[in-house]
Amino acid sequence: MMKGILRIVELDFRNFFRYKWWLVGLISMNLADLFIMAVVYNHMLAKAVTEKITSYFDFFAPGLAVTGLFASAFMIGREVNMERRREIHHYMLSIPMSRYELAFGRVISGGLRGLVYMTPLLLTCFIFVGFPTLPQLLLIIFTLFLLAMGISGLSITIAVSTSSFEKFVTARGLVYYTLFFCSSVFYPLYLIQNLGKSGQFPSILVTFAEVNPLSNASDMIRSFLMPSTMTFSPYWLVSVAIFTIIFALTAAFAYIKILAR
Amino acid sequence: MLVIERDVRLFFQYKFLIIMRAIWFVSQIAFFGLIASQMINVSAVADYFRYYVGGLSVMTLYSAAIFIGFDIYEEAEHGVFEYLLSLPVSRRQLVLGRSIGGGLRSFIYVGPLIAISLFVIGSLNPIAFLISLFALFLFSFGVAGMSITLAVMIKSSDRFDILMGVLDALIVRLSTAMYPLAIVQVANPAYGGAASFNPVSFASDLFRWGTGLDKIITIDNPLLPLLGIVAFFGFFTLFGVVIYGKRIEGGAWR
Repeated sequence: MMKGILRIVELDFRNFFRYKWWLVGLISMNLADLFIMAVVYNHMLAKAVTEKITSYFDFFAPGLAVTGLFASAFMIGREVNMERRREIHHYMLSIPMSRYELAFGRVISGGLRGLVYMTPLLLTCFIFVGFPTLPQLLLIIFTLFLLAMGISGLSITIAVSTSSFEKFVTARGLVYYTLFFCSSVFYPLYLIQNLGKSGQFPSILVTFAEVNPLSNASDMIRSFLMPSTMTFSPYWLVSVAIFTIIFALTAAFAYIKILAR
Repeated sequence: MLVIERDVRLFFQYKFLIIMRAIWFVSQIAFFGLIASQMINVSAVADYFRYYVGGLSVMTLYSAAIFIGFDIYEEAEHGVFEYLLSLPVSRRQLVLGRSIGGGLRSFIYVGPLIAISLFVIGSLNPIAFLISLFALFLFSFGVAGMSITLAVMIKSSDRFDILMGVLDALIVRLSTAMYPLAIVQVANPAYGGAASFNPVSFASDLFRWGTGLDKIITIDNPLLPLLGIVAFFGFFTLFGVVIYGKRIEGGAWR
């Protein structure tokens, strides 16, 4: 089974590096966010916020690595949607491997691609914010790999559930921006909770931000790199694992169903 | 007029792009603008939410106007260029039409979003707003001209794609669309220098000035940003027309 999955991973990695210009553009946008936007925001923070997060740059750097992981792991959905529309999955079925290998291979390769793309962003974060201990580093990598697989699964689920590219892009936009902006990637979670308490933000969105795997993964990295601002909670790991199990399995079964049509 | 009409119609065929941008715009207001405003010091920006919504309209206008460059690659790839050259339209009309069409279509698209912004900001000084609207018109034509100029100068669509991505990242972040100039200068004088001469800064400052809301106005004299936008529009429209005109002759764009 592993051999088949590895072949799919290899195929998807080759496709991934075909988008090298896109990747360079995305990295430069991410770095501009960190070295320009975050640096300027540092000088605009309210005193109460500075007391909690110390520096916006340090706060944002882990979040940026997670957004990079999200964007690159999500790319697999675009390819699956294109294959579905052009009926390339008929060719995929002719490859000598089981449907399970094919389906899980796609989910895993989507996750691995996210991890590869995110590595320079995570390294930048370590260089400027601080290095974790070895066990913390291993836990970060493990959690981010889980998260990347979950995102890849989510993206494949959307890709196989939408018949046209326009529908896929619209659904992707909704999921993308809700997960990005309704999380603690850009701002501390307590600000969203405060807005919820004052009735300015719907409570359902506050709960969404709390269980959002992007919030949990970002906060986990922050708790290791900036222990004075945040305490590690095992709940974050469990939350990411649940997200991954749900979407990796849904994606695999939805993909198999599409292949069998 | 025919060239302008064609470019406007072409733009509205990209339904997914329009939908994506609209989702991005609304989520930026409803999520990022609302939540980020909670962490901003009121002595830095008195009303960051409204300040940000003003800048967001200009960011959206910029990204919509830049899209004309991608159309030029599509046309070159699919052989539409030859068809355009065979039309009974002079080269100058074709080139000017594209520049105006590129700016106009982005303005038509951003119009409803600007209306949403004004509704959120909740204020308007009619005369100042008409002046700022005129400046936004020139700004969108200038951006379309810049996109056309770069598209015809760079032959590889991949390189154009990356350049536009990098330019978008830098031009928006090194502007006053998201933060006031005084703060940018304090954060980094080099960033402040870039933001002072950035057309996105000029357009954002003028748009906020046009709302007439004291809490978000960052300029005393609108003449300087207005002149900046006129210069930006003039340079890229004229330069774009000359470059585009030269490139389309003899298949130099291939």
